[in-house]
Amino acid sequence: MQKNALNILLADDDEDDRLFFKDAFEEIKIQTNVEFVHDGMQLMEHLMDFDNKLPDILFLDLNMPKKTGKECLIEIKKAEHLKNIIIAIYSTSSSEDDIEDTFIQGANIYIKKPSDFNTLKKIINEVVTVNWHYHTSGLNRDNFLLRLK
Amino acid sequence: MKWIPNFNSSNSLRVIFVIAVFILLFLSSIAYKHNQDLNESSKVVMHTYEINIQLERLMSAIKDAETGQRGYIITRNARFLTPYIYSRDKVNTSFITLKKLTTDNPVQQENLRRLFKLIIQRFVSFENCLKYSDPKTYDKRRLDNHMFGGRILMENIRFKVDEMNDIEKTYLKNRLKIYDDEISLSPLFSISLFLTALFFILLAFRQISKDFQRLKVFNKKLLISNGLISESEVIGKFSTWQWDLDANKIDYSDNQYRLLGYQPGAFIPVKETFLDFVHPDDKETVSNSIEGIIRHKQLPFVYYKILLPSHEIRYFKSTGKLLTDQQGSNILLGINFDITDEHLLNIELQERNKELEKTNKELASFNHVASHDLQEPLRKIQTFISRISDADKAVMSQSAIDYISKIEVSAKRMRVLIDDLLLFSRTNTTKKEFIKTNLEELLENAESELTEVIEEKSAVIVANKLPKLAVIPYQIEQLFINLIGNSLKYSRPNVIPSITIESIRVNSEDYPEILDQNIKKFHKITFTDNGMGFDPQFKETIFILFQRLHSKTDYPGTGIGLAICKKIVDNHKGHIMADSEPDRGSVFTIFLPD
Repeated sequence: MQKNALNILLADDDEDDRLFFKDAFEEIKIQTNVEFVHDGMQLMEHLMDFDNKLPDILFLDLNMPKKTGKECLIEIKKAEHLKNIIIAIYSTSSSEDDIEDTFIQGANIYIKKPSDFNTLKKIINEVVTVNWHYHTSGLNRDNFLLRLK
Repeated sequence: MKWIPNFNSSNSLRVIFVIAVFILLFLSSIAYKHNQDLNESSKVVMHTYEINIQLERLMSAIKDAETGQRGYIITRNARFLTPYIYSRDKVNTSFITLKKLTTDNPVQQENLRRLFKLIIQRFVSFENCLKYSDPKTYDKRRLDNHMFGGRILMENIRFKVDEMNDIEKTYLKNRLKIYDDEISLSPLFSISLFLTALFFILLAFRQISKDFQRLKVFNKKLLISNGLISESEVIGKFSTWQWDLDANKIDYSDNQYRLLGYQPGAFIPVKETFLDFVHPDDKETVSNSIEGIIRHKQLPFVYYKILLPSHEIRYFKSTGKLLTDQQGSNILLGINFDITDEHLLNIELQERNKELEKTNKELASFNHVASHDLQEPLRKIQTFISRISDADKAVMSQSAIDYISKIEVSAKRMRVLIDDLLLFSRTNTTKKEFIKTNLEELLENAESELTEVIEEKSAVIVANKLPKLAVIPYQIEQLFINLIGNSLKYSRPNVIPSITIESIRVNSEDYPEILDQNIKKFHKITFTDNGMGFDPQFKETIFILFQRLHSKTDYPGTGIGLAICKKIVDNHKGHIMADSEPDRGSVFTIFLPD
């Protein structure tokens, strides 16, 4: 585990997606520690366990068993020590309702899972290198959904 | 209550009758007075004649005495003295009668007194004559004197009697003249009065018969409308009841009995009767509402159940109003509607609605499946294909590389299909917020969305002024994208595509078959292109989902684009249609409400 590296956590029940994610991080060659949880329950347990280091960026799938991404999002934003974690919604859905809901609940960015590995790499690169302080202060409904230039 | 016909004539009738009665009373009082007067005058006549007779009698008695005395003086036969002896009594009798008859007349009394004095003198004269004619005391000179004095007295008596008779006659004449004067003008007057009374009575009779005719007509109308009302109550399944609050009398219409499951008039309703029929669940509501009518004069509809004697439940809807009629009495009018059929239908509708809601929910979850679960494996297929690097391809056979590229194309097509399908279903399910928007802005957005294709084909898009309308902005933008995109896609090879967009305001009544006539004005926007066009026999079918006129290989497409257009226009209560001829371009026309 590298010391100055970014701590990344992906909560996704899909094994293939976790694999793509892991491969993409390996290929972009940025110093990161990437960890994975398989469902909402496991995510909350992970975050509540003070032995674990809190992630800098949490990639959150919405459609997960046991506890959905939206439920997790609400809980995280309620918890005092968790609410400053950058949350990137990472979902197959691009429904207006999901985007609207998660924006209101305080997620920082909404990523629609791409269907191309290179696009995934670009997205991850973008999210990891963005200046979150700057981005969050100018956040609005229009730039909430991530669109690559 | 203005609907009660006004029979005002009864008042004028009363006046006419009173006048006629007064005239008749007046006439009879005059007749009575005349009768009295006649009686009086005949009495006066009788009185005069009686006095006359008595005076004549008096005269004749004196004359008899004179004649008897003369006979006695000549013959000296005592028999001649008999009338003379009786004459005194006769004179006295007549005198007493006369005195009685003239009690009311002082002049005649005075005359009578003088007459009596004269008569006494006459009798004294008789005595003296007898005395001096007697041979024993015969004195010719004195006899002559007394005889002559008797003659003068006799003349005086006659004069006095005539005078008295004259007075009576004058009196009679005067009296008769007064009566005559009184009576003289009356025959004409009374006849005219009688005729007036007759006229009034005839007038009254005429008015009565006129009113009677009117009453007959009204009665007939009333009977007909009564029959019609009771018939319409049967047909319309409603009934009425009236409650005269002052007389506390309740009347049910015939159909009210029938709706309650009885023959008309089967029982006499009282205040509590109706509540007996109300289902126990609703008794309180109904009794409250009846009191509500009395308090607030009228009532909104109240809905409740009725329990028939056959234990069948009927559903009623009722209302009522407190009316005050011309006489000021309060009548509560109630109307009941038997809405059982509607109610059952409503329940059925509600059930169907629930079913529809359920189906809708299922559709929504299908949408979710399509948007998420179907995309998931597809996305992975595409991602995995994208992971096949050039290095991997270098060690593959050519056919394997071809297959992989075909898989990639198919997966892409599947993605487009799913995206279009989602777009189509979202056109219907997402919120419909109508915002006043300038269509020119939406057209600009659409053009910028299509910049790539427009530039690639160097297309020319000319649009005249578009209106500002209350629309669902992103849907209209989508509509423009689809229509322009369609024209660009089906442009003729080697011809620069040109699209002309025009808008005019039209009246819906000019398009009765296709436009909603409840909306008066529409905007007709036409998209005219110079593309390849299509056979006009397909101008209806192109708007149907998955209908395609071209093969996938020539023109890739899903057959959803125009179906989305139709759906969007439908959402705006508008209309879309297309016309074309092969190789002559096509015209797409949309109508949007103003």
